[in-house]
Amino acid sequence: MSLNRIKALLLHEIFITRHSFEVINDILFYPLFTVVVFGFMTLYLVGTTGKIIANEVLAGMIFWQVVNIAQYSVGVGCLWDVWSRNLTNMFISPINIKEYLFSFAISGTIKALIILILASILSIFVFQFNIFSMGLTNTFLIFINLVFFGFSFGVVMLGLIIRFGTKVAAFAWGFINVFQPFMAVIYPASILPQPFRGIAYLLAPTYVFEAMRKNLKGQSGATEFIYAAILNIIFLIGAIIFFRFMFNKSKQSGAFARLEG
Amino acid sequence: MAVLQVKNLTKKFGSFTAVNNISFELKEGEILGLLGPNGAGKTTVIQMLLGITTPDGGNIYYFNKDFFSHPQFCLSRLNFTSAFNNLQGRTTVWENLVVFANLYQVENYIVKIKKLVTRFEMDDLINKRYFDLSTGQKTRANFIKALINDPKIILMDEPTASLDPDIADKTLTFIEELRKERPITILYTSHNMAEVTRICDRVIFLDRGEIVAQDTPLGLTKRIQVAQLRLTFNDNKDAVAQYVKKEGLNCRFDGEHVVYITTEEKILPKIIFDLSKVGIWMTDIEVKKPTLEHVFLQIARGEPYVFE
Repeated sequence: MSLNRIKALLLHEIFITRHSFEVINDILFYPLFTVVVFGFMTLYLVGTTGKIIANEVLAGMIFWQVVNIAQYSVGVGCLWDVWSRNLTNMFISPINIKEYLFSFAISGTIKALIILILASILSIFVFQFNIFSMGLTNTFLIFINLVFFGFSFGVVMLGLIIRFGTKVAAFAWGFINVFQPFMAVIYPASILPQPFRGIAYLLAPTYVFEAMRKNLKGQSGATEFIYAAILNIIFLIGAIIFFRFMFNKSKQSGAFARLEG
Repeated sequence: MAVLQVKNLTKKFGSFTAVNNISFELKEGEILGLLGPNGAGKTTVIQMLLGITTPDGGNIYYFNKDFFSHPQFCLSRLNFTSAFNNLQGRTTVWENLVVFANLYQVENYIVKIKKLVTRFEMDDLINKRYFDLSTGQKTRANFIKALINDPKIILMDEPTASLDPDIADKTLTFIEELRKERPITILYTSHNMAEVTRICDRVIFLDRGEIVAQDTPLGLTKRIQVAQLRLTFNDNKDAVAQYVKKEGLNCRFDGEHVVYITTEEKILPKIIFDLSKVGIWMTDIEVKKPTLEHVFLQIARGEPYVFE
């Protein structure tokens, strides 16, 4: 891997973000707006169900933004070049797939970290809830596991976009939300009906959010973190294999060259 | 020395064979035109040469290295420009060039970009977003990107398509000047036969995925051995008609004073001489020779070209 080329890809993303209100909206305003809405909801819940549940809901929504931004960063990052008809230029330069995906991993992590920090500040000052109260190590483990999952999910979406073109572009924004109900973001997995629970426990974020709830109650989430890490590694390997398969298929079928219309 | 060798390249899309077992070479400093009607397989060839479409068979070697085993070595030494691809539209020309300079790991890239920007008279446009440029300005920006890594070989896919004649001419002039500066190798596709004749050393004609002809532009035009003579004469149409009938020439009269004679190019002087000898007073002589366009039409239609 070349650091210069990764730097180039990161610069590319910074330049696009700088000129695109939509990106700033998607990665900043919309997530913060969601946190605000759920923040007010938790103020209401504090009075009805108690502070712990209210904090679990707010923390769940803040960390959900981390998953969302990490996966969005991968799929949409590629789409800007598809829409500009610049993807061919990018891929006929000497970049390789590892550098391309690694740059998305870095940019997704940075964006997710920015949103986590901003949302945390917002929740401290507006909703009197400090997400770091569960400890920096726990916060870090939750964050890194969710970024990992979000990135892997984004790689799968990117594989679909590269194989099937812009007709599946909307997956880059919304498909993750199909899985949100199974990931026990704002409620425990135990409340899910049995068949759904089976799906839930195949997804790393379910364990991460369960660990988060334990941490908020002052308990250890070590077991859940271990399960999440194992599932994340399996999912990441699967996602990369899937992406490579789709990428090669796309180049074989000629779909890659036709991506730009 | 061949900088590009293509051996038995084949690409099928389902049951359709887009490129069928083609082989050719591109020598250092050569400009090779890749021509053919729509659907002939030119774009598929270019896509395979860029590595964005995988061939079903055959090999591609750049600088004697297998492209698929050494993609980064090869890609760092080539570049591409096309009327159908853009740079990133949301970012400025400068930002685009900085990104590509880093992707190609260009040393002293700021100096390099500034030099190229000045060379292409784009100093006032570098802070403009690419989307906001005119078509001609975009073409120039694309050329700067294509030269950013000092490529040994540039693939150009219809670089002048959609340009007005003035900008297209400037683009060709630029390619000619560039060639004087250093030995650059170019693979060039176009539907404009005049520009191919102007800049290409050699031409390959593709039809239905196969190479059907390859030669210099002049060599190709010589394959059509007939030419058309348009004679305007004062009077005596009967004498002209009698002469062409006697000689068995293929001709067509247009009114009382004009005749079109289509025949072998080498006997045209004899016809003019003979007609003047029988007292025909010719006021205008025009010879229409075959061009690359006629060769193109002959290949595309699959039948000998007939002058109208």
